[in-house]
Parts: sequence; C-alpha cells; structure tokens
Amino acid sequence: MGAPTSFHRLFIANRGEVAVRIAKACDALGITPVLATSEADAGAAYLEGRESVCLGPGRAAQSYLDMVRVVQAARQSGCTALHPGWGFLAENPSFAALCESHGITFVGPPAHVMQLMGKKTPAKQAMRAAGLELIPGSDGVLTDVEEARAVADRIGYPVLIKAESGGGGRGMRIARGPDELAAAYADAQAEARAAFGDPRVYMERLVVGGRHIEIQVMADRYGQAVHLGERDCTVQRNHQKLIEESPSPVLPADVRARSLAAAVAATRRIGYVGAGTMEFLLDGDGVLRFMEMNTRLQVEHCVSEMRSGVDLVREQLRVAAGHPLSLRQDEIELCGHAIECRINAEDPSDGFRPAPGTITRWRSPGTADGRVRVDTHVGSGYRIPPHYDSLICKVIAHGPDRDAAIDRMLEALAELVCEGVPTTVPMHQAILASEAFRRHHYDTRGIPGWPWPRRHVS
Amino acid sequence: MTHVPFSPIGAPRAQLCDDATFAAHAEALAEREARLHARRAEVAAGWGEEYAERVRAKGKLTTRERLQALADPGSRLHEVGTFVNYGERFGDKGLQSPAAGVVTAFARIEGRWCMVIANDNTVASGSWWPRTPEKIERAQTMALRLRLPTVYLVDCSGLFLPEQSRSFPGASGAGHIFKMNSLLSAHGVPQLAGVFGDCIAGGGYMPIISDRVYMTEQAYMVIAGAALIKGAKSQKITSLDIGGPEVHVHQSRCADVRVPDDATLLRALRQEVARLPSSAVGYYCGDAGPLDPVFPSAELQGLLPVDHREAYDAVQVLARLCDGSLFWEVMPESGEEMICGVGRVGGLHTGFVINRQGLVGDPERPGSRRPAGILYRAGIAKIAAFSRACNDDGIPLVWLQDIAGFDIGQEAERQGLLGYGSSLIYTNSTNQVPMFTVLLRKASGAGYYAMAGLPYDPVVQLSTTISRLSVMEGRTLAIATYNTKLDDDFEIMATDPGQRREIEQGMKAVEARIEQDMDPYLAARQLDTDEVVALHELRDWLRVLVEASYQAIGYRRVKNSRIWSLHDLQVLTGGPR
Repeated sequence: MGAPTSFHRLFIANRGEVAVRIAKACDALGITPVLATSEADAGAAYLEGRESVCLGPGRAAQSYLDMVRVVQAARQSGCTALHPGWGFLAENPSFAALCESHGITFVGPPAHVMQLMGKKTPAKQAMRAAGLELIPGSDGVLTDVEEARAVADRIGYPVLIKAESGGGGRGMRIARGPDELAAAYADAQAEARAAFGDPRVYMERLVVGGRHIEIQVMADRYGQAVHLGERDCTVQRNHQKLIEESPSPVLPADVRARSLAAAVAATRRIGYVGAGTMEFLLDGDGVLRFMEMNTRLQVEHCVSEMRSGVDLVREQLRVAAGHPLSLRQDEIELCGHAIECRINAEDPSDGFRPAPGTITRWRSPGTADGRVRVDTHVGSGYRIPPHYDSLICKVIAHGPDRDAAIDRMLEALAELVCEGVPTTVPMHQAILASEAFRRHHYDTRGIPGWPWPRRHVS
Repeated sequence: MTHVPFSPIGAPRAQLCDDATFAAHAEALAEREARLHARRAEVAAGWGEEYAERVRAKGKLTTRERLQALADPGSRLHEVGTFVNYGERFGDKGLQSPAAGVVTAFARIEGRWCMVIANDNTVASGSWWPRTPEKIERAQTMALRLRLPTVYLVDCSGLFLPEQSRSFPGASGAGHIFKMNSLLSAHGVPQLAGVFGDCIAGGGYMPIISDRVYMTEQAYMVIAGAALIKGAKSQKITSLDIGGPEVHVHQSRCADVRVPDDATLLRALRQEVARLPSSAVGYYCGDAGPLDPVFPSAELQGLLPVDHREAYDAVQVLARLCDGSLFWEVMPESGEEMICGVGRVGGLHTGFVINRQGLVGDPERPGSRRPAGILYRAGIAKIAAFSRACNDDGIPLVWLQDIAGFDIGQEAERQGLLGYGSSLIYTNSTNQVPMFTVLLRKASGAGYYAMAGLPYDPVVQLSTTISRLSVMEGRTLAIATYNTKLDDDFEIMATDPGQRREIEQGMKAVEARIEQDMDPYLAARQLDTDEVVALHELRDWLRVLVEASYQAIGYRRVKNSRIWSLHDLQVLTGGPR
C-alpha cells in the first residue's frame, strides 16, 4: 500500500477494545496508529506489534485524562491526528481546541459545536429549531420558583428539575405534585450550586420508563450529512446500556422516517462534523423526543456498522482529513437486524460488582462467516486492571430478522469462554431467552428476564 | 491550522479557596454590584416616566426603546459612558442630566457590531449638556479606532444654553462632533443617521455627513428653529415647515429618505446595516468557534477580594476569561510579576497583560521574594516587548491592571526604570492595534500609565466596582504630604498634643479625600474611565470588544454625494448670484 491519502500517523488517546477498534480502521487506511497506554496497561497483549507511548500511572487522571501529556505524546510520536475514542477526553472541547492549537487534528466535531451540544438548553433550542420534538419543559433556564410553578402547571406533574450544568444525576429533583415543587426547586438549585458552581436549573416533564432510541449520524465539513438508522438501547442498568439493537422493534415506521430525516436536518443545521449520536426517548404516546447529542462515536456503533456495512471509524478519519463523505443516503442500505451484547467483567449475581483479575482462559465466539463480530482486547492470561471500566468484549450478531439475530447471539455466547473472572454473559443469556425481551415488554426501568432493580449487597 | 501553542491554565474554584472565603468575597462584591445595577437603572430612567409618557404621547418611541428595536433581538447593548455627569447638577435650577443626555453603546445589528449614538429624548429633549459633546466624541473615537459602522439616532433640541460656556467653545466643544463625523467619513467608516424629532443647530449638523440620512414625518433639521426665526426675521412659521422632510428629502437633499414613524425608521436602519459586508468574524476564527472558559467567569466574583490589600492568583483570572481556559504564555522565564500571552476570546486571538499579586521571585537576590503588583525592570521590558509584538502582529491587546506603581528607590533609579518606562510609554503611545484596559482593582500612579491607562488611548477603558484609580493610595499620599512632620517610622514627631491632633486630622482628611477620589463612579462621571462593569460581565465585554476589533466592515472609498466638493464648484460657477 502506498502513502495514505490522509494522516500518516494517528494517536489513539484511548485503551482496550476502543484502541483496538480504531487501530483496525487505521490499518485499513494505511495509517500508522500510535496507541496511548498507561503503566497499568503497558505490556497488555493488545499492544503487541503496535507502537505505543506510556502516558503515566494507571490512574486515568494522570494518564488518559491528562490533556497536556496526551498532546505531548501525540506530538512527540510524530502523529498529525488524534482519535479520542469514547470516554476519557472524547467530549472535552478544551482538549479538542488544545490539539488543534498544537497542529494535531482532533477526530471529532469542532470544539465549539461539541460545547454547544454539551450545554443542555442551547442544545435543545438548536434541535427544536431544527424540527425535533423535545420533552415538554421550561423554555430554557428558570428564573424563579414562580416560573417553575407556571411551567409545571402547563406541562403537568410529575416534573424533573435539572441542573443546567449538571450531569450524572446530580442537581436533579423530582416534584410529583405542586406541594413538592418549592422544595424540589430549592434542593436542585442548592445541589447544583454546590456541585457545579452554577445554580441554574430547568424543568422537564418526568417521563417514566419509555424506550431509549438513538440515531447515528455522520457529516462532513461541506454540509453533507447522512444517518445510519436508529439503535434501540432500552436494556439498561443505571443508565449503563447492556444490549443495543437495530432497528428498534417498537418504533412505528412513520415516526422512524420522520425522525431520521429531522436528525439529518439538525446535524446540518448546527454545522456538525464527524460521527454523532442523537439520543431520544420514545414515550408512551409513540413520540420520539430529543434528549441529548453525543458528539463522538459510541460503544454501540458496531450495531449500525453491521447493518450498513459502513466502517464508521474509517469514515471519521476520512472526514477529519478533509474528504467529503463517501456515502450518500440513497446508497446506504440497512439490512436485517443486528444486536450487540456488552460483556463486562462484573458479577451480575452479586449486584454487578466489578471483578478485576486475570482471565485464565479465553475463547472468542466464531464469526459465523461475518454474521458475528467480536470486538475485544482480551485473551487468555489478560489481567484486567482495576482503574478503568469493566467492559472486556462486545459481541454483535446479525440476522435477517430479530429472532434470527437473537438466536445467533445465543449461539455465539454459548461459544464464548471466559474463566478466571465472572462476566455478564449469564445475564445476557437470560435476557435473550426471556419472553419479555422476545416480545419487547420492557422499558428503561428494568432488565427483561433479569431480577433488577434489587438491593445491592455491599 | 493556527499556530498558537496553548496550554490549559487555571484550577477549579474549590482548589483555590474554601467556600466561606469565596462566599465572603462574593457577598462583599455583590453589595457593590447591587449599587451598580441600581445606578444603571436610575440613569436609564432618564428624567422619569412623566417625560417618557410625553414622548409616547407624540407617537414616538423613547430613546432606549429605539435602541432595543435597533439591536438584534436577544443581544445586549454594551453602553459606554453611562455615568457621565452622574450626580452632577447644572444651571440655576440644579438640573441633572442622566447619561449626559445621550446613550452611546456598542450594539449588534444584523450580526455586525456598530456604535450607536442616540440623544436621550427623555432628558431635556435630547439637549447637549456640559460633557455631552465629549461623550459623543469619545464614542466616535471608539468607532473610528475600530472602524465600526456608526449609527446616529438624532433627537436633539440643541445646547443646554444656560451652561453653553462649558459645552460650546473649547477644543472638544460641540462643534468637534462634526469634525469627528468628517474624520469618520474620511476614513471610510460607514455612518448612518435617523432623524426622529427636533434637530436644531448642532443637532442638525450631526446627521448630515452620514452616508444615508432617514427622517420621520415628525423630524426636522434646522440651523435655527421657529422661535429664533420669529425673533430674528419676524416670520411665523413652524420648524417642520422650515426643515421637515418636505424640505430636506426633496429640496435641499440634506436627507435621503422619509419614513412615517420611528419603528419604520429603525427597521430601515437595520436593513442598511444588513447591506454592509459581513463582519467576517467566522472567517477570522478559522476552525475555532467561541468556547466558554472551563472555569466559569462568574467565579471572578468570589476570587477577587474586594480589599485591595488581599492577594489572588492572576492566572485564575485569565483562566476565567479565555476560551477553553487555554493560554499561551510568552516569556514566562523573566519578569515573573507580569504575565503576557495570547488566549482566544470568542474564538479570536487576543493578547493579554496582567500583573501578579502576592510575592514573586527577586532576580537581584536569588532565593528571596518581593511583592508583585509593582513594575520592576524585567516586567517593564517584558510588557513593552509584548505590546510591540502585538502591535506588529495586529493582535488586539487587553491590559488587566491591579498595579500599585513602579518600583522606587536607589536600585530602581540605577537600573534606569525611567528609561525602560519611557520605552514602554513610547510603544503604547504609538501602537495602532486596538488596546483595551481593565482596571480590575488598583490603578495607581505610573502603574496606571504603564499598563495603558486612559491617557494612552486604549479604545475602551473599563473599571470594576472595586477599581481604585489615583496617583497613590490615600495613606501614602498623606505620608507624602506630611513628610516633614514624620519620623522614619512615619510617626508624628511633634510632642505638643494640639499640634499632634492637627497633623493627625490633616492626614486623615487627605486620606479620606483620596478614598473618595478613587470611587469608580467619580472617574466615570468625568470621562476618566469609559464604563463601570460587574466582574461577571467582563468576559462578555471582552468578547464584544475583541470581535469589534476583528470585524472587517467595508471601507467606503467614494464620499457620500452630500459632501462632494463638486457642489461648491457648482454654486461658484453656476451663474450670477
């Protein structure tokens, strides 16, 4: 292969299966990847045969999250671009700007667009202007409790008061009726001020349950944008997705068509560049309501890749190097059904306790002629460090329809061998075999076929 | 790809000071900023609702209503000179002139920053008071320096005559406004005028040089109004007959377009601005859009102690002003008392100079520390070099002052601080690049001069509610004044109780007077500073000023036809007179 028509060397500011996934796309484009690593990850088998730079100690704050070290490592290793993967610095606009100012192309949207989408109210206003439905709520930040009361009367109880600068559930309070409103407003404000130094709060109607549906979009610098269909990620535990599939088995065809078109229009309107995901809630009335946009590639992007045959990372790298999209909407064919199970080194029978340790024996499922895909960085003898999240593997199965995809997934999970640490495989098997999952009788509040929520054993 | 090697700066508030200290600082400041907001509201009310009603009864809008309608919806006006004449009384009746009877503001119109100069029709029908001409000329100077389209909303019944000697004859007297009109025109700066009512004498001249002049049906422009004509020529005629749109739009051609009312005129002015070239700010940003600082600029309220003797970390101030809290510090290895470097504000590269507080290393005595907040040799050389570089490179330059003055004493003189200071003065005096000065807290003596205080022509100088602008602190000045009566420890030498008391009282009086002089509203009243702002507004202000510095509005090559010299030739050669 000759010189690539883009960056010659790319820094991967991530670890584990993320790094492996991005490196694979680099290989396909003839780009030499340089992998970031930490003292905890150094020596892992997935780094063998790769160039890597050790950023620092295992603690992420001193390695994968240290902006200055990451940029220095990228520059010193002669890279001209940087892929942040997902997690760590992937949604840090200041980091993106730092990369650019040092001559390193950040693979992702422009920093200011990233920041706009990270702000609750501006993001929603932009999306509403682009024609997406929102969860009914206040028109931006609330000025006082009287306004809160008026908004709540209009949209109906129960309501959720949320911090404008919030995240992770902090600065969030529920008011189930008018008598709870003043206290909820004051508590949310106080917590927001303490946690984020910003007491501003806004209000949304509390949507109980519902289905989590998201749309994958991809845009270039020249105003072209496409979608790669939706994903249904309703099976969650504490907002952690467990299973993702595409298409959503419950989304009405007309809502799907309308929402996909609106998502593409919104992507163009905000000047988005690269891969992004718009997250929605499908409420009981069958309305898809915008929640937030993730300005990065997501863990579950593989589901869309399996259905479309598009390599999203490769497309990201091309767009970052200034190429126009190589895809046109009418050329993207979404075939059959794809489903992904995230395999974590956690003990599902012990309150999902993370279980770092050494995998004494590992066998990945077979690929079944491309109908099964396994993204992982682990193998026999791999030691799972305690510093990072516990995802060790993703299994993605494809079939002509949902049942076929699920059956294939069950076969693949049966083939998977992991000894030495507990995994969430038994939970996945229970979910996939359950009537509730097969007949899609579930929402984000519980795991179909698995007794959760339940009390955690400490 | 830009080539500015930024580094992340700053730290979260929780790491800088505990909650109680932060809250105490914020509370002390909040008291002062509450006063600021109350005073702004007082000025904005003009002569009160009664006068506003009179204006509305004529079917006209008040000046502030006009400004709201002119600016982009949702945008904020950035007023300068709000407190000119604040609290002062004029004429026999002791009349007040809120905002000196004219509103001058940076306003965003159709996405372009403009300077709007609007006579306040709720204050003596927009008369010109003492300092009104200077306030208008200051705004025109800002527009000229930044090449900002200038919009005049004219509604002016002429000079406030009882005080004419203070506003008519001098070098900056009312006539100088028209000289500024001419200079703006000569420099190709677009000027637009809307005439809404009485435009008598000076008020008549102010709009004419503009490229486009609009008149409402209630507007007239006259060299002399009906009253004067009646006296001088015994003619009974209305001012509208003398100089209304019938005359000026159609006969004299001193105006271009007639419109029925205020609202229509304002819409027309917006359309005119929209016809100018784009601000091109997006182009100058390149790939970088505006990015909020990582650390909220509102935190400045609790990080900057109100007490000028308390130190803070200047880096934290920068971290709360620069996009993404990213900064490229240049020459960090010398002149530690000064921080110079480049950050982005609203996506646009901006030079910053700020002096540190607390203690810094002393290069003359390695290992020992000396107070920052003072100009030493290396610091002076550093800011001079940085200022020159920014000027060479065209980078707008923001000076953040909290400075006590120059180092003094034998060592300072031996090192030649006078010379290094003069080099700095020469640089700042001859810079062409827009400079903006913020008096964060102390602005004392030669420190105020060295860091581009108002005498060095920054385009805009902002004070905060805790600014202290003076030659020196009151205590120091009291000591200097009573120097001969004090011993080496600044104790009073006299033993006689009466004498001691006298000296003590004298020193206290000096201190109290200086303390009063340092009130930022006093400076603002006298046009010694352009505006008093709240700390949390600072970043927003810098965004406006920096964007206005980059904005590239079209240059007008051909003068508007009203002021062609060809007309003079035509009059002179067009036949017998």
